[in-house]
Amino acid sequence: MIRFLLKGIARDKNRSLIPIIIITIGVALTVLLSGFIYGMMGDMVDQNARFETGHVKIMTRAYARDKDQLPNDLALLGVDTLVRSLHKEFPDMQWAERIRFGGLLDVPDAEGNTRAQGPASGMAVDLLSKNSEEIERLNMKSSLVSGAIPKKSGEALIGDDFAKKLNLKIGDTFTFIGSTMNGSMAFQNFKISGTIRFGSAALDKGSIIVDISDAQLMLDMPNGAGEVLGYFKDGVYDDEKAQKVTEQFNAQYAKNTDEFAPVMQRLKEQNNLAGYLDYVDSFTALFVGIFVFAMSIVLWNTGLLGGLRRYQEFGIRLALGEEKGHIYRSLIYEAIIIGIVGSIAGTLLGLGGCYYLQTHGINIGQYMSNSTMLMPSVIRAKITPYLFYVGFIPGLFAMVFGNMLSGIGIYKRETATLFKELEV
Amino acid sequence: MENKNIISIEHVTKRYPVGDGEFTALSDINLQFKKGEFSGLVGPSGSGKTTLLNIMGSLDSPTEGKAIVMGRNVAELSHKESAQLRNLHIGFVFQIYNLLPVYTVFENVEFALLLQNINASRRKKMVMDALEWVGLQDMADKKPSKISGGEGQRVAIARAMVKRPEIVLADEPTANLDAKNAHTIMKTMRQLNKELNTTFLFSTHDEKVMGYLNRMIHLEDGKVRKDEPIEKPQYA
Repeated sequence: MIRFLLKGIARDKNRSLIPIIIITIGVALTVLLSGFIYGMMGDMVDQNARFETGHVKIMTRAYARDKDQLPNDLALLGVDTLVRSLHKEFPDMQWAERIRFGGLLDVPDAEGNTRAQGPASGMAVDLLSKNSEEIERLNMKSSLVSGAIPKKSGEALIGDDFAKKLNLKIGDTFTFIGSTMNGSMAFQNFKISGTIRFGSAALDKGSIIVDISDAQLMLDMPNGAGEVLGYFKDGVYDDEKAQKVTEQFNAQYAKNTDEFAPVMQRLKEQNNLAGYLDYVDSFTALFVGIFVFAMSIVLWNTGLLGGLRRYQEFGIRLALGEEKGHIYRSLIYEAIIIGIVGSIAGTLLGLGGCYYLQTHGINIGQYMSNSTMLMPSVIRAKITPYLFYVGFIPGLFAMVFGNMLSGIGIYKRETATLFKELEV
Repeated sequence: MENKNIISIEHVTKRYPVGDGEFTALSDINLQFKKGEFSGLVGPSGSGKTTLLNIMGSLDSPTEGKAIVMGRNVAELSHKESAQLRNLHIGFVFQIYNLLPVYTVFENVEFALLLQNINASRRKKMVMDALEWVGLQDMADKKPSKISGGEGQRVAIARAMVKRPEIVLADEPTANLDAKNAHTIMKTMRQLNKELNTTFLFSTHDEKVMGYLNRMIHLEDGKVRKDEPIEKPQYA
C-alpha cells in the first residue's frame, strides 16, 4: 500500500510537485530569514563584545561609573598581577588589557609646522606580544586596507578614511596630543604602518590603534589599563556563564570599599545591552514566530486544498471498501512524506542562501556613514543548528495539520450518497 | 449457498428528512436474491432504485425492516464492518467508471486487492486474470486517460470482479456508453455471471440492459410494482 501511495504522489503533480514547491519556498524563506535575523543580531552583539564590552569587563568602580567619558585617571593599576590571578582563577577565559583614549592628531609638514589636524579616538591593544589574540579578535588582518600591522613600538594604525582626510600615507608620522593619566599634557609621535577599516562608522571615525605599551608610556600609565576584557575561549557569549564568572569575581571585593577596587560587568550590563539583548531575543522570536505562523497558514491551506481536490478519489476508495480511518491515515502519511521532502529541500535551499549571505553579506555601509551605533556595515546571516530544524515547523507540521483538518471530511462523508456523487 | 438467499430484504422502508417533513424513498420492500442471479431494479428516476442498491451495498441502512447481506444485517454493522463487507464480498460498477487517473489500468484493478493484503505475486495473477475476463490484458500499463469510455467501464468491471466478490452492484453501468459498447459490457458481465456464478444486480432504465436480465424488479414510488422472472432474456 505504501508503494501504491508513493506512486500516486510521484505521478500526480498537483499532489506532489506543487505542494513540495510551495513547502520548499516557504521553508527556504523561513530558514533564510531566521538565519539572517540571528546573524544580524548576533553580529551586533559579537562586534560589541570584540571591540568594546568583552564577554565580561573589569574596571575600577570609579571608572565604571563614568566609563562613557573614558576617565583614564581612574584606570586600573597593577594589571599584570590582576591578569595573572584572572588566568589562574578562570582558566577557561582569555583576558585582554585595553586603553581607550581621545586627543588631537597633528600632522606636520616638511618644516615641522602643522599641515593638518583632527580629533582622534584611540584604542590601545596588545599588538606586539607573541601570544596576543587581539589581532585576530579585532579581525585586523582582513580589516587592513593598506600597509601592515605594527611590528614595533612607535608604529600605529590609522582609520583609512581618517588617513585620506588628513592626506596621510604609510610611513608618514603624526603627533598625538592628549592628556596623561595624571592630567598633564601628553605628546607622542607615531609612524603610520597601515590603514584600517572595520566597517563600522562608530569604530572607523577618527580612529588610531597603537600598542598598549606605547599608550601606557604616552599616558603615563605604567602597568595600567582602562579596562581588562574577558572572553570565553569558544568566542560565544553565554550570559549564564558570564554571570557566574562575574559573581565569583565581584564576591572577592564585596567588602572592599575602595572606589579603585576592580569590578566586573558582563556584556549584558554594559552599553544598555541588557534591554537591547532582551529586545533582540523577543523581537527575533516574535518575528520568526509570525513568519512561521504565516507560512503555516499557507501550507495548511495547501494541505486543505489537496484534501478537497481528492474528494472523488476518497469516494471511490470508500465504495471499494477502504475504511475511513485507513483513508485518513494514508492522507496523513502522504502529508508527512511531502512535508519531509519539501522541508528537507527548503532547508537545504535556505541554508544555501544563508551560506551565501554569511559569506558575502549585505553592505549597508552607505546608510551607516553618520551612525555612532556599534554595528557592522555588512550584515550577514549566520548558520546555526536552529536553522536545521526551524523550517520543519511550517513545512512538516503545518502540512500535516492542514491534511488532518481537511481529512476530517472523510469521517463526515455519507456513504449513502456515494453513488450519486460518483455519477458527476 | 446455491439456493440460499445471498441478499434478503425484509419489510425495508427508507425515509429521508426533507425540510420539516420526510420523504419516503422505499416503502415496505420485500425481496430475496440467490447466488448467481442476474437481476435488475428498473423504474423511472426517483423510484428508489439507487436507495435500494445503497442498502444492499451496505452504503446505507434502512429506516425500518432488515437488509441481510451475506448473512449480515447491514443496519447493525459499524462503519468498519460495512467497509469490510464491501471490501470482501461486494463489487461496485458506477455509471461513470471512476478510475483513479494517476494509476495504470493494472494498478486501478489491483487497488481492491491491496486492501485485502494479498501478496504481490498472487495479486498480479488475479489482476491479469480479471483483465483477461474483460479482454484488456494488453492495456494493463495504460493510464485511464489513454483508453476509451467502453474500455474504461470494462476496467471498472475488472476492478469490481478481481476480488471474486459474491455480489456485484451496478448503477446504470451503460448510461454513458454507446449501443455497441453497452452490449459489450453487458455480454462481459453476463459471461462472468455464468462462469463465476457471481450475483449481478443492476439499477437501470436502459432497455439494452433489461434485455440481458433473468429477473426484473419494477420499482415505482419506492414500492415493488412487479417482480418478474425472465426465462429467455432478449440477448441471452
